[in-house]
Amino acid sequence: MSRIRRATLIALSALAVPALAALEGPQVDTPHVSARLVASSESVAPGDTVTLGVAKTIIPKWHTYWQNPGDSGLATTITWDVPAGVEVGDIQWPAPERHALGPVTNYGYEGEVTLLSPLTVPADAEPGSTLALRAAVSWLVCADICIPEDVELTLDLPVAAQTGGVAHPAITAARARLPQPSPWAARHAVHEEGVRVAIDTGALPADATDLWFYPFEWGRIDHSAPQQLSRTAEGIVLQAPRGQAPARDAPLGGVLVIREQTADGVLTTAFELDAPRVDAVAAGEPLTPASDGGAPSIGLGLALLFALAGGLILNLMPCVFPVLAMKVLALVRTGGDAGSVRGHGLAYLAGVLASFALLALVVLALQQGGARLGWGFQFQSPVFVVLVAWLLFAVGLNLSGVFTIGGSFAGIGQALTARGGHSGSFFTGVLAAVVATPCTAPFMGAAIGFAMTQPPLSLLLTFLALGLGLALPFVVLAFRPALVARMPRPGPWMERFKQLLAFPMYGAAVWLLWVLALQAGANGVLVAAGGMLAIALAAWLYDATWHAGARLRRSAQLVAAALLVATVAVGSGLATQTVPTAQAQGALLKHEAWTPQRFDALRAEGRAVFVNMTAAWCITCIVNEQVALERAEVAAAFAELDIAYLKGDWTNQDAAIGEVLASFGRSGVPLYLYYPPQRDAQAVVLPQILTPDIVLNALDGV
Amino acid sequence: MTIRPLIAAALAAGFLAPLAALAAPEVGKPAPDFKAVAADGSTVELSALRGKTVVLEWTNHDCPFVKKHYNSGNMQATQAKAAEHGAVWLQVISSEPGSQGHVSGEQARKLNTERKVSAVANTLLDEQGTVGRAYAAQVTPHMYIIDAQGVLQYMGGIDSIATAREADIPKATNYVVEALDAMKAGQAVPNPVTRAYGCTIKYAS
Repeated sequence: MSRIRRATLIALSALAVPALAALEGPQVDTPHVSARLVASSESVAPGDTVTLGVAKTIIPKWHTYWQNPGDSGLATTITWDVPAGVEVGDIQWPAPERHALGPVTNYGYEGEVTLLSPLTVPADAEPGSTLALRAAVSWLVCADICIPEDVELTLDLPVAAQTGGVAHPAITAARARLPQPSPWAARHAVHEEGVRVAIDTGALPADATDLWFYPFEWGRIDHSAPQQLSRTAEGIVLQAPRGQAPARDAPLGGVLVIREQTADGVLTTAFELDAPRVDAVAAGEPLTPASDGGAPSIGLGLALLFALAGGLILNLMPCVFPVLAMKVLALVRTGGDAGSVRGHGLAYLAGVLASFALLALVVLALQQGGARLGWGFQFQSPVFVVLVAWLLFAVGLNLSGVFTIGGSFAGIGQALTARGGHSGSFFTGVLAAVVATPCTAPFMGAAIGFAMTQPPLSLLLTFLALGLGLALPFVVLAFRPALVARMPRPGPWMERFKQLLAFPMYGAAVWLLWVLALQAGANGVLVAAGGMLAIALAAWLYDATWHAGARLRRSAQLVAAALLVATVAVGSGLATQTVPTAQAQGALLKHEAWTPQRFDALRAEGRAVFVNMTAAWCITCIVNEQVALERAEVAAAFAELDIAYLKGDWTNQDAAIGEVLASFGRSGVPLYLYYPPQRDAQAVVLPQILTPDIVLNALDGV
Repeated sequence: MTIRPLIAAALAAGFLAPLAALAAPEVGKPAPDFKAVAADGSTVELSALRGKTVVLEWTNHDCPFVKKHYNSGNMQATQAKAAEHGAVWLQVISSEPGSQGHVSGEQARKLNTERKVSAVANTLLDEQGTVGRAYAAQVTPHMYIIDAQGVLQYMGGIDSIATAREADIPKATNYVVEALDAMKAGQAVPNPVTRAYGCTIKYAS
């Protein structure tokens, strides 16, 4: 047998064996759900406890419910009929999801879910006998309508001298979804504004994450209302309106579910909390959890409105307005019949839209390319925030008249737009976009800054709306030439208007400074304000020497450029200096920084190596460290096996780490690898959600 | 930190209000007034019923939980009990047109005849969900009791065992009967707020 064929066979049997051997009862189908009983082992020894599961596969778009079903719905119930002496415990529920139907929100499951129950066999059970297990299972399965269904499931569980054999994959999957005991203390208080739950998570980077607290009991909090997230010195506070049930002093129990969008998909971790009631819980600095559904379209609608308004404002800029006025007058005087004038208007519109679409594509390419390089075009990144703040500040300076961008462009534009004739209307539109550059560039810069954070389609639409706004007055005038008489005359008011527009820019920059203060603290603000000083100086130098001699101008521009480069360099360093690094916590496990050289050296020595690729902004990474790695039993195992622990910090998208991630088919962190001591051993890839058991099993398993 | 939440906050008052979570009325406070078209073509106004106890029953005849209580005769018996106490019983249908439970006035009356419903004063056709949202009604059946002064005295489920099985009805505590009896005796309602169970109401979005 060739080596390849043998390897294939081994691989196949490794895949096939668990599925075939795992213990499962006959499948029972209802119109909406397929269900069966499954077990965590193929046999059970007298006196042992194993886990049984009711495994359900629900048809798409339908769901069944968690222990607290939320506003409506019913939890699944299991009534066991088992031989005398056998004991079955309460259901262990995997972490739920939210399902909203109009104003009603439910907690439950879609797709596949397995409800687990511990089963204990009496000590006097006879090895060689079989336990006949029956479960009458009732659930309510709903889409927009609800159907109650009942099934009876059976399973024959062999009693043997040893509990053994593989766990059914459905059990393994359900165990991974079970909430873990919370590593953090929690408490709750009932306030006028709502119920606040404080969770001492420390400096968890929870900003960009979807956190939701699912209470075990109905009515303690409002199930549908958004939960407001804020940060305190100790951790986070979630606030939800009070539920319908009267407030009680009993602890508030529930499951905290943290969902994180990573480059490799959504990661979900869940923790069981028990929050005793206290008199008061202070809310902290507001954080903005990732929005789910709904919101983006509303955000987009408003963004388009803003873009349209921005485009309209562009018409009033000193280098656009006179041109527009002249062009329109020329059209009206020489343009012949109304139809031809309208044709000019539409051609102009097409030209403007085409050039804005092109610009959008360029920005899109930049955004996508940048994302591949790992640049974070989002306001969670302090670097991005400071760069946009500076951009807006520079735009403000430009509008205030501190400096002007090369006026020669406008001259060309004027010449082009002044050109008459039919041929040029489309290109006049194209050029109007270019012509306007000296005035529009500042605005476009701001628009691009914000558009960078948008998904591709929104980005394109935003730019088109901007273009539509720019073209609109011309088109309107082409269709209603009589309105030309009503147009304001070009004049000094345009310059004043431009200066006025500087203040919203300064305002936006101030707001971003505040955002930065929350993200990066006082040092971040210092860097940002220092950068503004440098930008102002550079702008002044550039403008003050514009009409000076060539040599003076050249050297002033050099100084200005150097100032800007230095500023941007300092700003880019911001994240690394000020964001709490992933290495901050944890004292039990000693780690070294991951480098390809260090890794290769350790492997050459034949040392066992545990690699943890992490990032400061990755909440799952940090939770995994707290919950599963920084544990006494794990530290003991690391010491016993003499494992070298290497941590790679992907916070700033290190290229070498990127290669490792890619080689394991990942685009981002977390990534956990265990290399057993043998020099040529392959890496064991651990799951992205860790528990101490998963880590210990991975270390043991090889 | 994105600008989206700020925008959303600014809009919340206007655009988003209809989408916002339901704010439930409070027991012990005046019940929200309403004016709605009824199955017989008349208009029913809550404030016009001042002086009488009013029971509101959200319903959807195709919902298995509603069927549980009508097929068993439990809902009709509860309605008769309320009539004995002099209460006005109003069914409310908040299903949007085209969704499960939505019926015309004529169909609603026909359904009641078929199900031998006799003690119901009227059926409100709340197609837009206005009444339903004002009461934060979430499921069918969802029950509310308003006293003669217009104060909400009970909201929640029909009874204490949340299943779709008729066999559970005799074992359950009927919260509506319990509340009506307590009100009649001038006592506080023992369980003024309970979890309503049933099918999610199909509101117009």
